[in-house]
Amino acid sequence: MPGYSSVLKTKATTFVTYVGGITLLLLRTVAGMFSPPFKRKQLVEQMSKTGVDSFAIVFLTAFFAGIVLAFQTAYTMRKMSAEIYIASLVGLSMTRELGPVFTALVVAARVGASITAEVGTMQVTEQIDALETLAINPIKYLVVPRFLALCLMLPILTIYADFVGILGGFIVGVSKLHISPHLYIRKTFDALVYKDIFSGLLKAVIFAAIISIVACYEGMRTRGGAEGVGRSTTLSVVISCILVIASDCLFTALFYFMF
Amino acid sequence: MIRINSLHKMFDEQPVLHGVDLEINEGETLVIIGRSGCGKSVLLKHMIGILRPDSGEVFIDGQNISRLKGNDFVRLRMKFGMLFQGAALFDSLNVYENVGFALIEHTNLKEAEIRERVRRALESVDLAHIEQKKPAELSGGMKKRVGLARAICNNPRIILYDEPTTGLDPIMADMINELIIRLHRQLRVTSVVVTHDMTSAYKVATRIAMLYEGKIVAQGTPDEIKNTKDPVVRQFITGAAHGPITDSGNNRREEYRNIGGEK
Repeated sequence: MPGYSSVLKTKATTFVTYVGGITLLLLRTVAGMFSPPFKRKQLVEQMSKTGVDSFAIVFLTAFFAGIVLAFQTAYTMRKMSAEIYIASLVGLSMTRELGPVFTALVVAARVGASITAEVGTMQVTEQIDALETLAINPIKYLVVPRFLALCLMLPILTIYADFVGILGGFIVGVSKLHISPHLYIRKTFDALVYKDIFSGLLKAVIFAAIISIVACYEGMRTRGGAEGVGRSTTLSVVISCILVIASDCLFTALFYFMF
Repeated sequence: MIRINSLHKMFDEQPVLHGVDLEINEGETLVIIGRSGCGKSVLLKHMIGILRPDSGEVFIDGQNISRLKGNDFVRLRMKFGMLFQGAALFDSLNVYENVGFALIEHTNLKEAEIRERVRRALESVDLAHIEQKKPAELSGGMKKRVGLARAICNNPRIILYDEPTTGLDPIMADMINELIIRLHRQLRVTSVVVTHDMTSAYKVATRIAMLYEGKIVAQGTPDEIKNTKDPVVRQFITGAAHGPITDSGNNRREEYRNIGGEK
């Protein structure tokens, strides 16, 4: 039986290889973004697949999150007769935290899984090898458009989620807590400053980079047919979600001290 | 000409190629035979530079493929066409986009000209009017032929075939063999075919090489291979369940070799 030290060594090697592989793919993707030819058609196609097609699911998630947030805040605020602050709290929570994180998690599950499954299937059916034989760089052809599309679309989806979440809170505040619509809107926007929105959008770009690179990396290292594609897809979603939450924690702390 | 010198390749610390030396002359059809999983496809992928050797060299027309970068590497790749075992057609593209892929991506040809080249490539593999179909709508034999049309569309000088007849019925397999011979004559290309189908090997080859335990253990014309006394090659080409390949132990193999040598 292998000893603890050898198991630890294997785990450490696997971890370092993984981090190295992800970093290398990220660097090659960024380099690929600036080297011609630029494929506008593929980029638009990916923006539609990753972004436009995600609006419905983002709407549902953000809307319900806004409603739940308003009710939970009301539960505490009512005890202090401070229901009016629900508007500010929902607005701030959605733009700084819940909008970017919920959207990223939903996109990691929907788009990240789809990217890994697609690229993974291409890998096991030798389509990526075929690209290489046709003198096409698979990173430039497959990874760059997906990376760029997600980095452009996730912030847009996040802004959309912010508005929809605030709308959810607004409906609860106005219909159930009897706050006047005008007052609710004023309180929401009084509390918000640009840095709240921008810090959320900056997070969205970082999350987009994480989701797209992890999804493509897992897809490209898929081995072993349909079972391998399933395994890679699961891993891709799990790793993306963990990294999104971990990086959110890191950047929230960083922004707290910076701004 | 393709020249391979002392090629070694390992996967997960398992040696797959263990010092392959091979020369492929211009204009010939070399068939590489060997058991499933012996590294034939790995060898093929080294020739086109999809895989990089752990040690050893692959020369294409005197150029060491491992040292080529950027546009030189792209130019070298354009000399090749490759037919994959499962055809490896791009699912998201239709037949026209698959076959004309290299022309669309690498040339400034007008669409009408690309369409004409695609039509001619499809005609060469006895297919017509399927440009708008998606790979999922094609049968196994049609997929292989579309894969072959894609391989020849940019007029390559070397065509690599990875198990071209695997998974096809005998009639379709023979049609693919005929196509390989016809394309070889028409296009005057160098062809390298990897297969374990001996009917196909005898039919298309001008020379046959056998890969065994990571090395080329025998090579010769189809007749020389048919009449070989090497027990390893004999077991493979006759498809016998017992012999030096399947009976374990080096001593046993040596014994077979001695028997073969005495015959």
